[in-house]
Amino acid sequence: MKVKTNRSSNMFVSLAGLGITLGIAFIVMFIMIFIMSETPKDTIYYFFAGPLTNKYYFGNMLNAAIPLMLTGLGISFAFRASMFNLGGEGQVYIGGLAAASVCLSLPGLPGIIGIPLSLAAAVLAGALVAGLSGYFKFKWRTDELISSFLISNALIYIVDNIITGVLQDPESSLLTSKKIAEQFWFLKIFPPSNLDISIVFIVVLAFLAYFYLFKTHQGYEMRICGLNPEFARYGGINVKKYFLLPMVLSGGFHGMAGAVSVMGTQHMLFKGFSGGMGWNGIAVALIARNNPLAVIPSALFFAYLEAGAKSAMINADVTIEIASVVQAVVFYLITAQAIYSFVQRRRRTA
Amino acid sequence: MSNGEFSIPVIHNSISIMTPFLLAGIGGLMTELAGMLNIALEGLILIGAFFSVVFAAYTGSLFLGILLGILMTVFFAFIFGAITLYLKANVFITGLATNLLAGGLTTVLAFYLFGTKGVLLFEGLPSLPIFRIPALHGIPVIGDILFGHNVLVYMGWLMVILAWILIYKTPFGYRLRGTGSNPEALKAAGLKPQNYQMAGILISGLTCGLAGAVLTLNLGAYVPNISAGRGWIALVVIYLGGKTPFGILGAAFVFGLAESLSNYAQGFIDIPADFILAFPYIITVAAMVIMSVIKHKATK
Repeated sequence: MKVKTNRSSNMFVSLAGLGITLGIAFIVMFIMIFIMSETPKDTIYYFFAGPLTNKYYFGNMLNAAIPLMLTGLGISFAFRASMFNLGGEGQVYIGGLAAASVCLSLPGLPGIIGIPLSLAAAVLAGALVAGLSGYFKFKWRTDELISSFLISNALIYIVDNIITGVLQDPESSLLTSKKIAEQFWFLKIFPPSNLDISIVFIVVLAFLAYFYLFKTHQGYEMRICGLNPEFARYGGINVKKYFLLPMVLSGGFHGMAGAVSVMGTQHMLFKGFSGGMGWNGIAVALIARNNPLAVIPSALFFAYLEAGAKSAMINADVTIEIASVVQAVVFYLITAQAIYSFVQRRRRTA
Repeated sequence: MSNGEFSIPVIHNSISIMTPFLLAGIGGLMTELAGMLNIALEGLILIGAFFSVVFAAYTGSLFLGILLGILMTVFFAFIFGAITLYLKANVFITGLATNLLAGGLTTVLAFYLFGTKGVLLFEGLPSLPIFRIPALHGIPVIGDILFGHNVLVYMGWLMVILAWILIYKTPFGYRLRGTGSNPEALKAAGLKPQNYQMAGILISGLTCGLAGAVLTLNLGAYVPNISAGRGWIALVVIYLGGKTPFGILGAAFVFGLAESLSNYAQGFIDIPADFILAFPYIITVAAMVIMSVIKHKATK
C-alpha cells in the first residue's frame, strides 16, 4: 500500500514540475510575441486555437505527431539504457531514403508486399546507422553521444546528394525525387487532412514498447544498465550488450519514422524532409520521462506546438522558428532537478 | 605544378580555417577540465557569429562588434551554466537546448530585424585588419604560411598561451583541474566546484564568441547555421589534443589542413559540394574512433 502512495506522489511531482516548465516556456513565448508581433492578440489566438479550428488543421496536427511518437520511442529506449543517441535526424533521413528507394526501384510490386518491405528496409537502415555508434562503444568505448551526432550529420549531406542526384525527378524543378507508386501510399483516415492509418499501429507499438521495457526480462536488464551499470555488472548482467542493443532499437524506430513520413504523407523524398523530427524526438522522450506510453500525449503536445507556430506564421506576422525557442526553454528546464525538489518541498510543508 | 605552389597556399589557408576550432577548443578545454562535456559550443559559436556581425554593422566598428558579440555569447553561456549548475539540470540536455536556442533565436531575430531568414549581407563593413610584420613576411615558406592572417588568427594563438598559463601556472588552474579530477578534495578544502565549472563555462562563452566573430567578420555576412558543426569538431579536437592547450593547437591544425585540402581538391576534381560538407564530420568521427581504439589497447 505504501508503495502505491509513493508512486502517485512521484507522479504528482513529475506533473507539477512539467507544468512549471511548460508555464515558463509559454511565458517566454508570450514575451517574444508581444515584442515582435504587431498584432500580438491575433498571433496568440492563431497559435493556440489555429490547430483546432478545422478538420484539416486538426488532422494534420495528429499526422505530424506520428513520426514524433516513433522518434520519441526510439530516444526513450536509448535514454532508458543511458545511451545518448543524438543521431536521430540522420537516422530518420536514411530511413526515408531506404523506404523511398525500395518503392521507386520496384514500382510494380503490390502494396501488400512493398509496404512491409520498405518499412523493413527503413528500420534496418536506421538500426545499422545507430548500431554503428553502439558497436563503437561496445568494442572500444567510443563516446556514442558525439559519434552518433557526427555520423548522422555526415549522412544528411550524403543523402542530400543522393536525393538531388540519382533520385532527382528530372521533370521537377524542385529538389525532390519522383513520387512513389500509389499502391505504397498509406490509407488516409481523416480527409481532407493527411492523417493516415499508421497512427493506429504506432499507438499499438507504443504499448508493445512499454510491455517490452517494463514487463520483460531483457527490458529490465536494459533499464538496470541505464540506472546503475556497476550494480548491473555485479548482478551478472552483460552490460556491454546494452551498449549495442538500445542503439539498434533506437535507430530502428527512427528509420521507421522516416519511412512512415515518406509513405504516409509526402509520397516522395525532398531535401531536408526530416526537418527536426530527430531533435524533437529527444524533447518528446524527455517530456515523457522516457516512458513509451507517455510518449503518445507528449508527441501530440509537440505536434500541437509546431502546428500552432505554423498557424501563427501563416495567419499572423511571426516566423515558425519561434517554436524552436519555446522548445529550447522546455529542453533547458525539463531535467532541472531543482524544479522538482521545489515542488516536493512545497508539498511537504503544505 | 611544383610542390611549393600547391602546399604553401593550402597550409596558409588551413591556418585561418583552424582558428574557430582552436578558439572553441580552448574554451571547451576549460569546461572539460572542470569535468563537463560542453556540447553547447556549437550554439555558442552561432550566437557569437550572429551578434558580432550585427553589432559591427550597427556600430560601424569591428572592435565594438566583437566586444558586444562576445558579451552576448558570455551571457548565453551564463544561462546555460546557471540552469545546469544551480537548477541541477542534465548538462547534455541543457547543451542541446543552447544549440536549439541559438538556431531558433538567430533566425527569429534575423527575421524580426531584417525581414529575412536567408543570408544577411552587410555592405560597407570594414574587413578584419591583416597583421603584417614586413621584416618577417620576407622569410621564405614560413613567412608565407605564418604571417599575413587577420588579427583574430593571432588572437587564437594568444589564447593558447594564456590558457596554458591559466591552467598550469595559477591557483585557479590548479583548482579548475581539481574540479574535474577530484571534486571531493576541492570541497574538503572549502571550495565550491560549481564556481570553477561556471568559470569554465563563461570562458568557453568568451572564446566561442570570438570563434563566431571570426566566421562572420571574415565574410562580412551572416549565413544561417554558419557554425556548421565546428563546435562538435572542437570537442573532438580537445580529445585529440590530449586535453592540453598546445595539443589542441596541433589538433586544430590537422582539421584545418583537412578542410583546406578538401577545398583545394574541389578546385580540380569534380567532388559534389555535399561530400565536401560531409567530409569534416567523417574525418572527425574517424579520428575519434581511432583514438578510442588506441586508448582501449593501452588500458588493456
